[in-house]
Order: sequence, then C-alpha cells, then structure tokens
Amino acid sequence: MSQKKQRITLELTRRDFLVLGGTAAGSVVAAQVLTTGVLSPFSGLKQRQVTGDEAPEKASSDYHWGMVINLEKCIGCEYCQRACSATNDVASDKPWNIVVEDELDNGHGFFFSRPCLQCQDAPCVEVCPVQATYHREDGLVVMDYDRCIGCRYCEVACPYDARKFNWAERTDTNAYIPTWGIAEVPRRPRGVVEKCTFCIHRIDAGLANGLMPGVDREATPACVNACPVGARLFGNLKDPNSKVSQAIANNPTLRLREELGTEPSVYYIPPKKEA
Amino acid sequence: MTTVALPSKKPALRTPGFLAWLAFLALCILIGLVSAYQVLSQGLAITNMSNTVPWGLWITIDLSAIALGAGAFTLSAIVYLLRLKRFRPIVRLAVYVGFVGYTTALLTLVMDIGRPDRFWHPWVYWNVHSVLWEITWCITLYLIIMVIEFMPVVTELPFFDRWPRLRVFAHTLHKLAPALALIGLGISLLHQSSLGATYGILRSRPIWFKPSMPIMFILSAVAVGPAVAMAVAFITEWSTKRKTVPHDVLRAIARFSGFGLLAYAYIKFWDLAAVTYYGRSPQVNQGFAMLNEQTPYGFGFWVVEVIIGIAIPAIFFLSSRFNRQPVYLVVGALCAMIGIVASRWNVTVSGLTVPLAYSPGVLYQAAPGSYAPSLAEWGVALGVIGYALLMLTLGLRFLPLFNGAPSEESKS
Repeated sequence: MSQKKQRITLELTRRDFLVLGGTAAGSVVAAQVLTTGVLSPFSGLKQRQVTGDEAPEKASSDYHWGMVINLEKCIGCEYCQRACSATNDVASDKPWNIVVEDELDNGHGFFFSRPCLQCQDAPCVEVCPVQATYHREDGLVVMDYDRCIGCRYCEVACPYDARKFNWAERTDTNAYIPTWGIAEVPRRPRGVVEKCTFCIHRIDAGLANGLMPGVDREATPACVNACPVGARLFGNLKDPNSKVSQAIANNPTLRLREELGTEPSVYYIPPKKEA
Repeated sequence: MTTVALPSKKPALRTPGFLAWLAFLALCILIGLVSAYQVLSQGLAITNMSNTVPWGLWITIDLSAIALGAGAFTLSAIVYLLRLKRFRPIVRLAVYVGFVGYTTALLTLVMDIGRPDRFWHPWVYWNVHSVLWEITWCITLYLIIMVIEFMPVVTELPFFDRWPRLRVFAHTLHKLAPALALIGLGISLLHQSSLGATYGILRSRPIWFKPSMPIMFILSAVAVGPAVAMAVAFITEWSTKRKTVPHDVLRAIARFSGFGLLAYAYIKFWDLAAVTYYGRSPQVNQGFAMLNEQTPYGFGFWVVEVIIGIAIPAIFFLSSRFNRQPVYLVVGALCAMIGIVASRWNVTVSGLTVPLAYSPGVLYQAAPGSYAPSLAEWGVALGVIGYALLMLTLGLRFLPLFNGAPSEESKS
C-alpha cells in the first residue's frame, strides 16, 4: 500500500518536472523567436542601433563626420573652448570642449583638447534606457533633450567625461557672448544631460543650402573655425579627398583609448617627441 | 486558504509606545516631504552630486532597498516551486517586505532622475540594449507580480466584506501562485543581477568592469533578503507579543541566509584575488591605491562589508550556539543589512571617485571625485526610510500577514 502511494508521489513529481522543464524549454524557444526570430519586434534594431526613422532626412549615410586634432600644432589658446561655449551657449563650469596641459612620458609638454568624440560604438548610446541619445546615420551621437529622463547613466558610462548634466535651471550670463560668437541653439533645460554636437545645426543647415561642412565656414563647427593655428580639421571621413581623410592618410594618428573599442570619430595627430 | 480566521482581538492602537513610534515616523516623512519639495523646486543642484560623481546616496538606497526586498522572490520560489511548505507561513510577510522595498526604491528613483515628469519614458521609448531599461521593466513587472500575489491578503480585510466577488477573484488569482513564483524568479534573477551589471559592463571604469559584479549583487540579495523578512517577523513578535511565524521556520531561514552569505563571501574572495592579485592591471592597481590613500575604502570594505556584513551574521545564523536565540538572529540580520548598504555605497561612490584617464599624455586625467551627501539628500533619505517603516508598521497592524497558512503545514 505504502509502496503504491510512493509511486504516485513519484509520478507526480516527474510530471511536475516535465511541466517545469517544458515551460523552461518553451521560454527559451519563445525568447529566441521574440529576440532574433521573425516575430521579433527588435529585429530592426541590430548591433549598430541606427534608428533611421529618427534621423532627419537630410542626414544621409554618404557622410561620416569626423575631426582631426593636431596636438603638435595646438598652442593651448582655448579659442575653441570659448567659441564653442558662445555658439552652443554652454555654461562656463561645464564646457563641452576642454583644453588642458599635458606632457609625454619624456617630459615634453603639449596641449590636449577634447570635444565629444562621436564614438561609433558609443557606451552612452548603449546604456541610455530611453534612446534619448542615439546615432545618426552620418555618425553623430545626438541628444534628444525632450526625451532624456536625467538618470545620468550616460555620464557615468562615457569614458571621456564628455557629458554634462544640468543640475539647475540656467540663469547665468554667458561671458563669451558676443565676443566669441552668438548663441545659435537654445539653452538646455534643467534635468537633462548635454554634450557637444559637432555643431549639428550648422551641418544640417549648411547641407540644406548646398554648403560643405569642413570647407564652408558657415557649415563647420565653431571650434574648428576659431582655431588660429589650424589645429582642428573637420570633414567627411567617407570622402577620401576631404581634409580629414587626407590628414589621416598622411600622418600618424591615434584615437583616445582605442582599446575600449568605442571607435571615436575624432583622430589625433600626436605631438612629436622632442628631446 | 478559503476560510480565513481574522484576528479576534485587534491589537491596541493607542499604546503610548506605538503612538510615539508613529509620531517619529511622521516626523521623518515630514522632513522627507520638505526636502523633496526643495529638490523638485530647485533641482538637483542642491544635492552634492556633481558631474564627476553623478550618483550617490539615493542610488545606494535604490540598490539596497531592492536587494533587501529579495526575500519575496526567494521565499516564493522556495515555497511554490521547491514545494518546501514549512516556509509557507512567512511568504506573505516576505512578499509584503519586498513590495515595501521596491516601492521605496521607485520613490527614491523618481527623486533622483532629473526629469521626474518623464518617469514613464522607459516604458514607451525602448532601448533594448540598455541594462537600465531592462532593470526598469523588470522592476515594474515584478512590482505587478507582487501586487497580484498580495491581492488575496488585502481582500481578506473586513473592509472588503461588501465586495465578495472581488475576494473570490483575488483568491482565484492566488491559484496562479506557482506560475507567478516562476515568473517572479526569472524576472528577479534578471534584474537583481543587472543592478550589478549596471556597473560591471562599463569598460571605461577600471574598478567596476568585471563579470563578477552581477553575481555578487544577486548572491548578496538572495542571502540577505530572506533574513530581513525573518528579522521583521521576530521584531513584530516582540512588539505585539503575538506569535507570528514558528521559530523553527525562522531559524531555518537564518541558516539559509548564513549559507547564502558564505557563498557570497566565496565569490567576493575570488573577485578580490582575481582583480587585485592574479589578474591585476596597472589601472586597477592605481585605482585601489588612490582609494586607499584618499578615502576610508579599506575600512569600509574589510570592517563594514566583510566583518559586519558577512562574518558576524554568518556566525550568528549558522552556529547553533547563537541561532537558537532570536536576539542574535535579529542582530545578525541588521548587520547583514548594514553590509548590503555599505557594499552598494562602496561600489557606487568608489567607482566614481577613481578618475577617468583618456589623454594620450601622462599627466592629465579627469579630476578624482569626492562626495558626501547634502542635507537635502539626507532629508529625502530619511523620508523614504520613514515611508518604508510606516508601510511595514501599518501592514503588520492591519493586514492578515500571518493568518494565511494553516499551522499544520508548518509543523510537517
């Protein structure tokens, strides 16, 4: 009698086991179908995360905007930082563009500057929970200030410290206006993260008017225009004849923290080691 | 389950001690509300968070509250999936503690984001590649699961006598308990560890970037979550002088937590060995050297996280000399909770203190972070802790958290 009872219990557990196993297997299959299969709502969103529907029509994949910064030429005048701060109306305590002194391991000093590097595999784009920051097809990493929830994960994730949060409503007067330019974009509201855009408003308006960014000043980022020694070049990395492509072809270049695999669109010509 | 005996004698509400406790909680919540108003009107500028340390005390509270609520999914899985029915008397309490923990975390999170008015964006604008998006979704779904799991308990209140259909519906829902436990287990295994992955996936942060981060987060949560429910049961028993959950069950939970803590300690030990010794890299070494020089990192790690957070509770939970006396179990649970909070704080603030270095030169690196919470941050923290304690107090007073399971089951 007791043996029979035990057998029933055994069968019950086996059934449960099968049910559980079946559920688990079913979940795996469902997950596969839903994430990579034909039914997947995500199938359009692969690796590179190009969100075509959000990119303006004028941004086309014929372009990949990039910058070359020649550290050998840079004299540390900070004109780029000032022009950027005026044009984009950036607060003085959290500049988009930084210029700092640095030196090589042999003690040779140089000036290092850094805009947003517009990474092609950008950690900030990966981590944003709401796609408030995303890639355009022309390589730019853009912010949607109307969508950002202000969680600041992108700021934590950026390897280059290129993102700044608006902790308060801006009430300051921008000391760089009008000496270094006038504000061409509105101030960002309180509670969102902001970053360098490669002066996207100039690029888009310029292309719409038949100008070429990097060649025509009206379509070129303010920092590039302001540089008195031509240490910054801007242009289309996909065009082998553009200034940036030529500079990369004819000089040794490096990108910041290449080992992270972020694929920045900003190339640096390193300073020469002098004795 | 269908016939439920409501407590015949209602606990006294107007004892001086209870009123004083309520007054204290009201004060905490009042301070919290004033601070929250300040933050909402003036912005996060009144916190001490900065662009170098953009996360601080509030994130620590989020992470801790969710980890401490992990008893809900752990004990649900133990009872409904592993069918260890003797643990049934504590499931309701554990789910309630989990609910309080998760709502506390969401409250704090809403204060922490720059645009609280856009809290709903992750539900509408999806970035399936973001670990934070996954966490938001999992937490939301798990909160819904806990509400469904908990509906029968709420509808047992005399208030619902007038809607018998609702009660029947809630009890029908309760039949889904095993399915809910399974889904809850899956979702919790995802987000409890993803909270660690939030840090662990960031390639540019030397002392965060490691695959052990999510493992340590979930192990510590599974270990300590049930112990929190255990401690709440004991404290309720002391303050109301009524039996809550059989003591042998509570002791068994403590032993489970003790073994969980040992597993956590094991992974933590290997993490330490791999990161700082066998697999050390110059960047990580520099990071830790800087932390030890400029912050009490070593003290926080060894004394608070390891000794107070792991060693003491593990001894109290596992040694039969201690675990037969409830007071040691409660003290052990409190120590383990302190350990959880300290580990979440250490991860967040230490990782942000180590500066980023990205220049091709050797001199320049971003400024190292420094952070201590501001008054407004402490105020909001006090408020949400007051909220959590008030919810626990009211729930334990008014909800039939301990009547759900027939006592015969617990004796088997």
